[in-house]
Amino acid sequence: MTIKAPVRTPHAIPAPPGPAPTAPPEASPARRIPHPATDPRSVPRVDAVPKLLGVTRYTDDFLVPGAWHGATVRATEAHARLLGIDRDPAFDWSQVVVLTAKDVPGENVIHLMKDDQPVLAADEICHVGEPVALVAAPTLALARAARDHVRLRTEPLPPVTDMLASDHVFTEYNIARGDLEAGFSEADLVIEGTYRVGHQEQLYIETQGMIAVPRPDGGVTVHGSLQCPYYVHAAMKRALGLDAERCIVVQEDTGGAFGGKEEFPSGLAIHAAMLALAVGRPVRLIYDRHEDISVTTKRHPAVVTHRTGVTRDGRLVAQDIDITFDGGAYATLSSVVLSRGTLHSAGPYACPNVRIHARAVRTHTPPTGAFRGFGAPQTEFAVETHVNRIAEALGVSPAELRARWAYRLGDQTPTQQVLKDSVSARETLAAALEASEFEAHRAAFAAARRVDRAAGRPRSAPGIGVAMGWHGAGFTGGGEKYLASIAGVELTADGSVRVLSDQTEMGQGMRTVFAQIVADRLGIPFEDVDVVRQDTSVVPNSGPTVASRTTMVVGGLVARAADRLKAAVEERAPGPFAATYREVGRAGGRLRFDEQFTGYPDITWDDATYVGDAYPAFSWAAATAEVEVDLDTGEVAVKHVVSADDCGTVINPLMAAGQVEGGSLQAVGYATIEEMKLKDGRFLNDRLSKYLIPTSLDAPKITAVLVENPFANEPHGAKGIGELPMDVVAPAVVAAIHDATGAWITELPATPERVLAALDAADRDAEEARS
Amino acid sequence: MTTTAPTRATRFTVNGDPVEVAGPGGERLLDALRIDLGLVGTKEGCGEGECGACTVLVDGMPVLSCLVPVGQVEGRDVRTVEGLAEDGRLDPVQAAFVDSGGVQCGICTPGILMSARAFLDSGAEPTDEAIREVIAGNLCRCTGYMKVIDAIAKAATTAPREVPGGLPQVPRELPGPPIRPNVEPGSDVRVGPAFVRPTTLAETYALLAEGTWRPIAGGTDIMVELAGGADAQGLLDLTGIEELRGIRVDGDRLVIGAAATYTDLRRSPLVAEHLPAIAELSAVFGATQLQNMATLGGNVVNASPAGDSLPLMLAAEAVLVVGGAGGERAIPAASFFTGYRRTALQPGELLLRMEFPIGGGRHLRYRKIGTRRALALSKVALAVAWRVEPGSPAWRDVRVAVGTITEVPIRAPSAEAVLEGATPSVEVAERAAVAVLEDIHPRDGLRSTAAYRRSATARVLRRVVEDAAG
Repeated sequence: MTIKAPVRTPHAIPAPPGPAPTAPPEASPARRIPHPATDPRSVPRVDAVPKLLGVTRYTDDFLVPGAWHGATVRATEAHARLLGIDRDPAFDWSQVVVLTAKDVPGENVIHLMKDDQPVLAADEICHVGEPVALVAAPTLALARAARDHVRLRTEPLPPVTDMLASDHVFTEYNIARGDLEAGFSEADLVIEGTYRVGHQEQLYIETQGMIAVPRPDGGVTVHGSLQCPYYVHAAMKRALGLDAERCIVVQEDTGGAFGGKEEFPSGLAIHAAMLALAVGRPVRLIYDRHEDISVTTKRHPAVVTHRTGVTRDGRLVAQDIDITFDGGAYATLSSVVLSRGTLHSAGPYACPNVRIHARAVRTHTPPTGAFRGFGAPQTEFAVETHVNRIAEALGVSPAELRARWAYRLGDQTPTQQVLKDSVSARETLAAALEASEFEAHRAAFAAARRVDRAAGRPRSAPGIGVAMGWHGAGFTGGGEKYLASIAGVELTADGSVRVLSDQTEMGQGMRTVFAQIVADRLGIPFEDVDVVRQDTSVVPNSGPTVASRTTMVVGGLVARAADRLKAAVEERAPGPFAATYREVGRAGGRLRFDEQFTGYPDITWDDATYVGDAYPAFSWAAATAEVEVDLDTGEVAVKHVVSADDCGTVINPLMAAGQVEGGSLQAVGYATIEEMKLKDGRFLNDRLSKYLIPTSLDAPKITAVLVENPFANEPHGAKGIGELPMDVVAPAVVAAIHDATGAWITELPATPERVLAALDAADRDAEEARS
Repeated sequence: MTTTAPTRATRFTVNGDPVEVAGPGGERLLDALRIDLGLVGTKEGCGEGECGACTVLVDGMPVLSCLVPVGQVEGRDVRTVEGLAEDGRLDPVQAAFVDSGGVQCGICTPGILMSARAFLDSGAEPTDEAIREVIAGNLCRCTGYMKVIDAIAKAATTAPREVPGGLPQVPRELPGPPIRPNVEPGSDVRVGPAFVRPTTLAETYALLAEGTWRPIAGGTDIMVELAGGADAQGLLDLTGIEELRGIRVDGDRLVIGAAATYTDLRRSPLVAEHLPAIAELSAVFGATQLQNMATLGGNVVNASPAGDSLPLMLAAEAVLVVGGAGGERAIPAASFFTGYRRTALQPGELLLRMEFPIGGGRHLRYRKIGTRRALALSKVALAVAWRVEPGSPAWRDVRVAVGTITEVPIRAPSAEAVLEGATPSVEVAERAAVAVLEDIHPRDGLRSTAAYRRSATARVLRRVVEDAAG
């Protein structure tokens, strides 16, 4: 970081800001849930018992007698011209099917946004691990052996592996509000900093897998581990040249996804389907962990630079932000990941003068993609760390500075969105500070460090840090309107109630939450609501299971559909729904109501200028982290994380707390140890022994504080919770490391290597100061 | 894949039922359970012993079924998640997971349940710390572990529970709809290497002389190599040979059998009394399941540069006793490690036991630096040994050994020179830390940087000496 005193007041020493504003206005509708575990809404999840008994079937658990096994031949270079694909003549190919780009039945493209990614590379290889050919054989061993006997003839081309050296821009955004120059000229202090984050692997414990089964009608059904059935469906139709009815996508129980199964399964499904159609038998294509880590999408690496103007009395007057995201070799979802990253990059702080410039660029590295937070964790790490450094420069508590700057109802965001509803930035901050006893711990840790230093060479040092964040709920801008999702509730002819949507259960609890929402509207027990499994021949397209949108947007649709069903049943039979619906169903046949999303009132967005309501609502969070830094080894033990989260009205507090805890630990991993290392465009640590995630011994105690501030535009009042906790914890950990050691780690993860290097540098500085 | 492997049958019990699995014996227990027996509740998360999703109990002890050749469970009792619920009621730990919200995606859940069941059966007190340790070998990416820990803590006081509507049946016949096409059985069968399990050293030496058998004990290195595509040879299982087990004191030596597991070492009163550093080393090796399987002898023979125990062997002046058809020989640790993953073992020889001098005022300290607190390969491993004479605090016969930073573990002569004859103090510690930088010249590697390894080694050595100064 460089702290630059502006020319106008070169010697300005900022006076400490005045006292922090008092507690949030009493009119705030935000309420804390005192005991999530014993809250009556915390019903046990509907899929818990089968999962605990081991009878839940995940994709690889379907042993398909007679199925062949697939394997993928992959490029080993980052950039090359593909001249030919040869089969080793010494190998017995009699029982093996080999497919290449020319065998793609439809268009050789994995349909998503820019349609630049081929199903199989045809003449140019753009990243290590790019699929070039597919093989299938009766046994897994033979398929793998065959894969290893396919040779690629290539001619190397120069790769670009450094995002800052890339001149291929996938997407660029510019946001401007107010008068930036006027803001900086008003500033007494201008603070600059650059922040870097690397790839992060989703590391769902169930690897990617797909089983494709040829259909008698010439089509194909795929069963797989995936988040977005209709993404897969659309991609299959295009690449296989099949109509909608002959491509069926069935989501099997999914062992974690976190965004990693948002877009990636589309290509995998096409591969499995091509093989199944060619062989005329079912084909299983299940990645082992090594392949999964080597080639699947990761969180976008990013470089973010902040230049911020503040006045001596602690007002935020100018934010100038520059963002670069590394999209890897193909566009995948980079434009929308970058969009979310950009829209959250200024933090939840009111600032009259803002300029944001952002771009996502292409490199010859494996494509990056969706991962919980979707661009926001990168930019929120940057802005939160920067705000902590500003607080240090101003000599004020980072908690107090945030309390002054945080959004209130009626404030405007950089896109000139007026925050009209459900704003809890201050409430969540206050909740996290209280639950962690932040200021008391901060003072106690400082005292403890002084005592330890006086007693000799301290073994370790404690520290505490704070950060806050926001997360737009649902798709960005006009996305939800464009998706026009459909979901339905049905009373069947046998008198039971079922929910139809393509939202997937991947551990987050959709099945339970949808059953609860519908049961609540209908006034029946949640056990009596069935959530139909996600099969594109059965359920409508209610959009992807991403963007923290399931409970809020699709949950709202099923709530409305349930209301219509209730009214219809009550029209047919007098008395409460619960008493009559079974009979009505059996007597009158089936009743189904579908709801389609048409947009929230008073929401406008201009995609061309990036002005307007970027999201229908935001979820809000604040986190504190306590750490103990080992001063011999630089290891950071995160001891306690408090995360206070407002996701609107909570449907199931126990499960919402589970989302907060799980997201917080992923963020602790992102902050401390999770690091993909690349050389020449290849992931070096592509095994689970080398890409490390936190174990139970590394995990802190996590205190989830749920704050409820209802969203007015949905009958059930819910916003999103899935991603929010991922946004706020990493900068809190880095702030705690600074509190403990005095070192600012500006590149994630704060590995022992980076921390110890900072401690060594501090020792050297101290040495020089003495001599 | 080996084609010469004779087909044999491995007989054992699963959840109390006798079963028989046909195959050469070197195939993974995980595949025997999932493919041959249709018990797909046990999951494969990595196939390399890193995630714990495949955890099952063998004779009550949690192991990783992806690293167990099925031949090793001949005659033993295997328990899987399918065996937890009894008489139509959830096991208390399952019921506690329902109540606490300990399940999210569920893919790691069966493995965690098995680790938890073994822990609860041990009668140990379910403190937060103890629970975190027993599930450290089970990675969960959904929950942040909080509700998992809560569930295990509450399981001890939770009753077995009826489920409304009864338990979903465990289908033995695999699978139901939607997928059951047109096909001949058997195409899912995976083959493995041949497997033999001798019970005497004489038999073992005879088999070794054939030149095609690879000794295996815990399997935690070899099975990973096989999973990575290494040529499958025949596996020569050493776990049935009584002479290779056991920990005893023989005069002024502590003698540890080559096939003693890390769990054996953690629990041994003799190790605790005479060489507690070995118990400390064992406690930070892998996690529970790996400690139950892996052997100290395997770590030594595998001779990986990152082998946790190698510098300890050097500093402690261990003597490695190897045997073969021609008899036994004793090799000092200093001449045992001859190069990258190479040792002084000759073809046909086997490591039998490790002998450590004890008593005589000997002290030994060990520190491993990994990146996380369990399941971590070391970035630096440091062992410091010294002796004191009665009436003098000065260090004698000082040996400082550093592992992981070079292909073979090394001694640190400059640091030793500073410490030899010195009485530990803050000042001596500082000089030793400066001196050790003369001794070590690590390179940047995948797991760490040269700068880190130097700085951390110096700082940790300084700490060890300062601590001794009191």
